[in-house]
Amino acid sequence: MRLIKALSAVAALAFLAACSSEQQAAATSGTSTTVAPGSVADFTQNVGDRVYFDTDMSSIRADGRQTLDRQAEWLKKYTNYPVTVAGHCDERGTREYNLALGERRANAARQYLIAQGIPASRIKTTSYGKENPDPPGSDEQAWALNRRAVTELQ
Amino acid sequence: MMLPRRSTLLGGVTLAAIGATIGVTPPARAQLTIDMTRPSFEPVPIAIVDFAGDRVGADIANVVRNDLQGSGLFRSISPGSFIQRDVDANAPPRFQDWRSIGAAGLVVGSVQQVGGNIKVDFRLWDVVVGQQATGLSFTSQPANWRRLAHIIADAIYKRVTGEDGYFDTRVAYVSETGSRSSRVKRIAIMDQDGANNRYITDGRTLALTPRFSPTLQEIVYMAYGEDRGPPRVYLQNVDSARRELLGNFPGMSFAPRFSPDGTKVVMSISADGATNIYEMDIRGRGTRRLTSSPAIDTSPCFSPDGTQIVFNSDRGGAQQLYVMGAGGGGERRISFGDGRYATPVWSPRGDFIAFTKISGSTFGIGVMRPDGGGERMLTSGFLVEGPTWAPNGRVLMFFTQGRGGPVGLQQVDITGRFQRSVPTPTEASDPAWSPLIPQ
Amino acid sequence: MTGCRLLLLLLLAAPGMAPQVAYAQRGDPVYIEDRLNQLQQSITMLTGQIEQLQYRNQQLQQQMEKMQADYEYRLDQLEGKGGKGGPRPTPSGPSGGPQTSFAPPPAGPTPGPTPGGNGEQLYNEAFKKLQDGDYAGAERGFKSFLASNPRHPLAGNAQYWLGETFYARRDYPSAMTAFAEGYKTYKSSAKGPDNLLKLGVTLAQMGRKQDACAMFAKFSQDYPRATDLQRRRVDQERQKNGCG
Repeated sequence: MRLIKALSAVAALAFLAACSSEQQAAATSGTSTTVAPGSVADFTQNVGDRVYFDTDMSSIRADGRQTLDRQAEWLKKYTNYPVTVAGHCDERGTREYNLALGERRANAARQYLIAQGIPASRIKTTSYGKENPDPPGSDEQAWALNRRAVTELQ
Repeated sequence: MMLPRRSTLLGGVTLAAIGATIGVTPPARAQLTIDMTRPSFEPVPIAIVDFAGDRVGADIANVVRNDLQGSGLFRSISPGSFIQRDVDANAPPRFQDWRSIGAAGLVVGSVQQVGGNIKVDFRLWDVVVGQQATGLSFTSQPANWRRLAHIIADAIYKRVTGEDGYFDTRVAYVSETGSRSSRVKRIAIMDQDGANNRYITDGRTLALTPRFSPTLQEIVYMAYGEDRGPPRVYLQNVDSARRELLGNFPGMSFAPRFSPDGTKVVMSISADGATNIYEMDIRGRGTRRLTSSPAIDTSPCFSPDGTQIVFNSDRGGAQQLYVMGAGGGGERRISFGDGRYATPVWSPRGDFIAFTKISGSTFGIGVMRPDGGGERMLTSGFLVEGPTWAPNGRVLMFFTQGRGGPVGLQQVDITGRFQRSVPTPTEASDPAWSPLIPQ
Repeated sequence: MTGCRLLLLLLLAAPGMAPQVAYAQRGDPVYIEDRLNQLQQSITMLTGQIEQLQYRNQQLQQQMEKMQADYEYRLDQLEGKGGKGGPRPTPSGPSGGPQTSFAPPPAGPTPGPTPGGNGEQLYNEAFKKLQDGDYAGAERGFKSFLASNPRHPLAGNAQYWLGETFYARRDYPSAMTAFAEGYKTYKSSAKGPDNLLKLGVTLAQMGRKQDACAMFAKFSQDYPRATDLQRRRVDQERQKNGCG
């Protein structure tokens, strides 16, 4: 049972990786020219505003580290934005626990950014638990995308 | 045999027992009693006649029928099959007419206008033995007719089951509207049967996890501000809608619950990835930390005597249930089954703790004794979550959602035999059952 | 909890456990963050394992106590000391909660009650409830038995088991009262020694070690003819509570 779950999670992730790299390629080739460097759109499209987590986990994965490294670089360059990292969970947990788990994920991303040299005072955290699914869906693919920490510029 | 005025309610209801009017004394009552704890029983067939004397009489009878039928312990006999049409609210019925349609109990009543008030009398006849089982008389403002109906249903439930009723209660819950990705979630309160719904928050920001104070005068809940900041706990007066922030902590605060005496609120506060349980004195606003682990400690709930708190924590890896003293300390794990345990709620009787359990890809609602023994699952599904007890400790309400489907409320009795959905005006989650409304 | 702290120290004191990490990285905040996270995960895992082990341990202890009680009963039967003793807990009985305890052993030379008497039936019903883990029901049962049969040969047993219904629910103050009552009122009954022993155990649970030790000290005085098993239990308890 657990093995099957693990396997399907791996499959979903492989699928996602394929998906998101295509999307990113499209983003960089198609729209980067029209986005002003240093703008919110620049951050979300060219840097990537979110990192993903494994089920019930809050440790930053290798793919997330790359995203956070880019975020740190960008935030060092454009110092005028305070940021809030918002943690989220998939719908396969209980409401209150997921609020706390989302906070733990947001905090993991925040600590990583701090370790990369972003001042702690610049980064706040919040959590939406399972309340704000993006995308809304009830399958493994949607759940993998919902286990996320999103760095929001303010 | 009028009892002295026992209490007042809302607009001032007087309550008095109606004495038995006939001197028949057959042996003991028979099928009009039910033992809910027996492994199996048939619902009690009961005939409820529209109350005489006023148009609202039919509405009252309907509410009583709906309450009793909805408990799973009664079967309301369709009025179409009644033989005696001229039953007098103040005289013994023709028992044979009611026996022949299979009724064990018969409810008759009347409504009279008295000044600006209505006076409602009802009697429960034990049809099997041909005797009055109980009878009461109430006076109240006409607007209170639904509450009078619920109080009558509670009296019948108590007379037949020996347990206190739970119909004269309210439910606070999260009303959910809009699409999945831009959901509006606001706190609402309704009567236990779905009537008299009203909204407590305006829906501009997400509001979740409402809980009643013991007096029902206030609720606590968690809501987000409009500044993208972390959610916080609010205390709100139900009638005046005046609301106050309970503590302005740097991290998020959530999962609030009242102590049984209403003087304290326990809640979770997060800082640096760890979530611990704190207690706040409502009057003095002093806070005290009750747990200190690097893990997530949340969903606290007091025992009904106020001496202990059950909560869930992932300090040992997966979420499990723990019990500690109300002042913190002495934490010990009580759940040891397979799966993750969450949202523990102590029964108002103290005999059980209900919880959500996640095993593999299935969610379930179950109960266990406070020492962790006797675990029993009552229902399961794709998502079932957040049980809350009826004040008699015999029925649970929770929320449920199919894969990608709407979210709604359900109730189940403690044996797991009888489950049904609870009507709500919108999609609904996170129910919190009130104590009996003070009379 | 102290176990956890010890493990944490061990973990912290063992940086050599990750030799593949280059020394130059030690000061890197990301590296430190990672190490902290790993440590936290280890502690979490260990906490879970300790909890499981404690639970298993408790279950085993409980099982052993029941078995011990059963042996004692069987031995008594063989020695012909008390053929018609009160009912006994069985090793296969329904399990109570993690910490319910039926120690010390019951039985002993109990005079046989009037067969088929209403009192005995009440007693048996209450005892059945106790075995089923329905402590509140058992409490009511033993109380009503005692109210109507204060001089029944099983009254001392009932008083003792009444105490156990509280003890199993960790209501130590009530358990204390019940055992004390049993010791006082039914001092010479078969359950007299058990009442005294359990009174001491209960006091120890309540943190009243001195009082507990005083009770254990009374034991050899009051019951010079107690069974070996009972004496061993008292010695164990004296040791456990550091009685002088």
